[in-house]
Amino acid sequence: MIYTTMKSLKFLIKILFFSLIVVGCSPVEEVNVYTSRHYDVDDILYAEFTKKTGIKVNIISGSGGALMERLKAEGQNSPGDVFFTVDAGNLANFQKAGFLQPIESENIKNIIPVELRGPNNEWVAIAKRARVIFYNPESVAEDEIKNISYEDLSSETWKGRIVVRSSSNMYNQSLVASLISNLGIKDTEIWANEFVNNFARTPQGNDRSQLMAVANGLADIAIANTYYVGIMLAGKGGEEQRKAAQKLKIAFPNQDNRGTHVNISGGGILKYSPNKKNAEMFLEFLLSEEAQTHIVNNSFEYPVINTIAPHPIIAKFGDFKMDKTSVADFGTYNPEAVKLMDRAGWK
Amino acid sequence: MKQFNLNFWNIFTSFIALTFSVPIILVFLSLFFGFNDNFDHIVNVVLLEYSLNSLLLVVGVSLIVLFIGVISALLVTTFRFTGSKILEWALILPLAIPPYLLAYVMTEMFEYSGSANSIFRSLNLISEDAALPTIRSLSGAIIVFGIALYPYVYLITRVALMNISKPILESARVLGSNNFKSFTKIVLPLIRPAIFAGLALVCMETLSDFGAVQHFAIPTFTTGIFRTWLGMYDLITAMQLASILLLVICLMIFLERKQRANAEYSLSNDSREDSDLIQLKGIKNFLASFFCLVPVLAGFIIPLSEIISWSVEITNIFSIKFIYASLNTMLLAITAGIITTMLAILFNFNLRISKSKHSKLINDFISMGYGVPGLILAIGITQCLTYFDLILSDIGIIVTGSLFGLIFAYVIKSYALTNNVLESNYKQFSTSIDESARILGASKYTLLGNIHIPLLKTGIFTSVLLVVSEVVKELPATLILRPFNFDTLAVTVYTYASEERIYEAAFPALFIILIGLIPIYFISNMIRSSKGLN
Repeated sequence: MIYTTMKSLKFLIKILFFSLIVVGCSPVEEVNVYTSRHYDVDDILYAEFTKKTGIKVNIISGSGGALMERLKAEGQNSPGDVFFTVDAGNLANFQKAGFLQPIESENIKNIIPVELRGPNNEWVAIAKRARVIFYNPESVAEDEIKNISYEDLSSETWKGRIVVRSSSNMYNQSLVASLISNLGIKDTEIWANEFVNNFARTPQGNDRSQLMAVANGLADIAIANTYYVGIMLAGKGGEEQRKAAQKLKIAFPNQDNRGTHVNISGGGILKYSPNKKNAEMFLEFLLSEEAQTHIVNNSFEYPVINTIAPHPIIAKFGDFKMDKTSVADFGTYNPEAVKLMDRAGWK
Repeated sequence: MKQFNLNFWNIFTSFIALTFSVPIILVFLSLFFGFNDNFDHIVNVVLLEYSLNSLLLVVGVSLIVLFIGVISALLVTTFRFTGSKILEWALILPLAIPPYLLAYVMTEMFEYSGSANSIFRSLNLISEDAALPTIRSLSGAIIVFGIALYPYVYLITRVALMNISKPILESARVLGSNNFKSFTKIVLPLIRPAIFAGLALVCMETLSDFGAVQHFAIPTFTTGIFRTWLGMYDLITAMQLASILLLVICLMIFLERKQRANAEYSLSNDSREDSDLIQLKGIKNFLASFFCLVPVLAGFIIPLSEIISWSVEITNIFSIKFIYASLNTMLLAITAGIITTMLAILFNFNLRISKSKHSKLINDFISMGYGVPGLILAIGITQCLTYFDLILSDIGIIVTGSLFGLIFAYVIKSYALTNNVLESNYKQFSTSIDESARILGASKYTLLGNIHIPLLKTGIFTSVLLVVSEVVKELPATLILRPFNFDTLAVTVYTYASEERIYEAAFPALFIILIGLIPIYFISNMIRSSKGLN
């Protein structure tokens, strides 16, 4: 018994070491991507990149914080080439912590507007999503919703009519961080206190369940990201969700002034990247028409290059003015935003 | 020679204990780094809420698991009723579904257009546009944890009940005790340590859970730790918060140990036979069956059918990703199972031979790893590996982000399971065997290899299986520590759930349940065959 146990153990140790070697050593060409964005549709994109360039894409996914700890631990020896995330705050945070190096590609600088790049090109946006208001036209009057702003949501008229997800969610944290950046902490806090009083229920569920709540009459308006309704309308969440989404209308807040809050998926090249050229090629690929079309059609986000149109379902919502508040501010004010929401009792 | 061996063992065991405790000590060290504004904020604004929610959760879950676990254990060990033979083992089945998975399933079912509402509407129990309350609340979480975790109490209580010898009960009756009196005066004190042991497990699982409370957005200690780390970008404060939680868990382990004192459970001493069971009739028969059937339905059959119904909705069933995730999971689980079991054999062998207080203490200490929440363990291990790699920085990154950290986490987390199994297995054969062998000239190693290991076969097998089922379900530590291109089944399920594409989690979820069922099958078989021994 002990003999067989030892034998199987030896075998397992061999497998372990083998997998360590596979993980640790560099075959000819590869790019190591640290990502907190792990959509299945992206896997197809990575496979396409490998097919085109012969460069293997290795993925380690995890939350931004975990990846940062890991990068700290790895220091100069880090195998990481690219950091890719859905949270703009994280991107700014990584840049501030000095984990990213400037992207040199002229091609990228030419096609991506300045506000979608880091202050010194440390990162670049790959896709955009707007955090907007969805409402039920049966219970919300046209003049109530016309020219609405995020700030208006603290008004008495919305008492018991708003649903939004938990403040642990990073999209809400970024939204509040952008408000802090524009209004200052004091006014944002006054706003948040009243806003929380207008909730129809304790925050629960994800963005999609907020939309379902409005469609089913549990509340009148919901704050959610644009692509969720795209996924629902496309029938990817089943017939029930498609029907629910058809009942909803969209309102882009703050069109009169700074514009609607937009969050980005974005990427940058890590400071100690051992495969810098490949990393650059990888980012360039993600910004190519081919990759952008793929992203737009599968994750229903907005493209970042102007030669590609959003998915027809999303395009139907129309054009809107985008808030150009610096993404770096999201990172700066994120900790403040979390604490402010704690104080306001936003669960 | 003997002296040398003893020293060798002591050094070896101390070394292991030290290795096990480093990640935990690193978390505690955060308490000495000073407290910043974020900590003040937490204390002033949210700590009360975190503590209150965690407390309510633990109290509520405890009440449910006691109610279901103890009563059902009493019913199946005392009476015979319709389906009791099947329910006896079916009551363990919910153990195969980890709380976070049950939380995902229940959420889907109780959504406005979920299956629970559809069924209630079609039966006209609620009107067409009405809905049942959603499960995403504190009370919902209490119910989910309650039905996912009651089997711990049920299992241990049942074994304890089977161990109460018939003569004790008969003497009580002769001396004039009625059923109720003999229960409260004799049975209850005898099974109390077992109930508390089960309860302690449940409380630790509840407090350290991350997946379910995060999904329900309930502000508890674990969600607070994550929020501080990922939202305030403040790992030190997160670790300080974790230290508080860890202290509570240590206190709980200490209290449980203390009340357990010297009570021991093994599967072997059942002196009762099936013929001693009292046949229930009529309404009592129905009620007993009903009482035992409800938790099995709610904790296993209904969630399983729900997951199966998801699998119909998806098109690509066996993706290559899923196959890799399954292989990764099995590789990790079996490796961790073998390493942990070998460690437990060595420790228990040493304890048996040397009877040293030092080893006993160390063994108790490292068993506490079970109570350390996976999230905290992972933070500690990340730090630990960082220092290790800094020392070796000339060579390159060796251990950070390798399977080493992950397996290390699993071993710490599941040592207590293997230790419990082997400890009780060892108690089943007398030390006179050892003495005879030594008199006949066997060395320690021959004794271990040729005599003990064959005798411990069932224990070894069970403990590997228990670790496997634990590792397959583990989520928070795996999320943080895994290497490149490395998903496990639990991670796949979590990813789909957080991306709001829960249907696609159907197959990995089914696989987790399937693997979880294997140890349950063997354990219930063992309990049953131990009944037949007498």
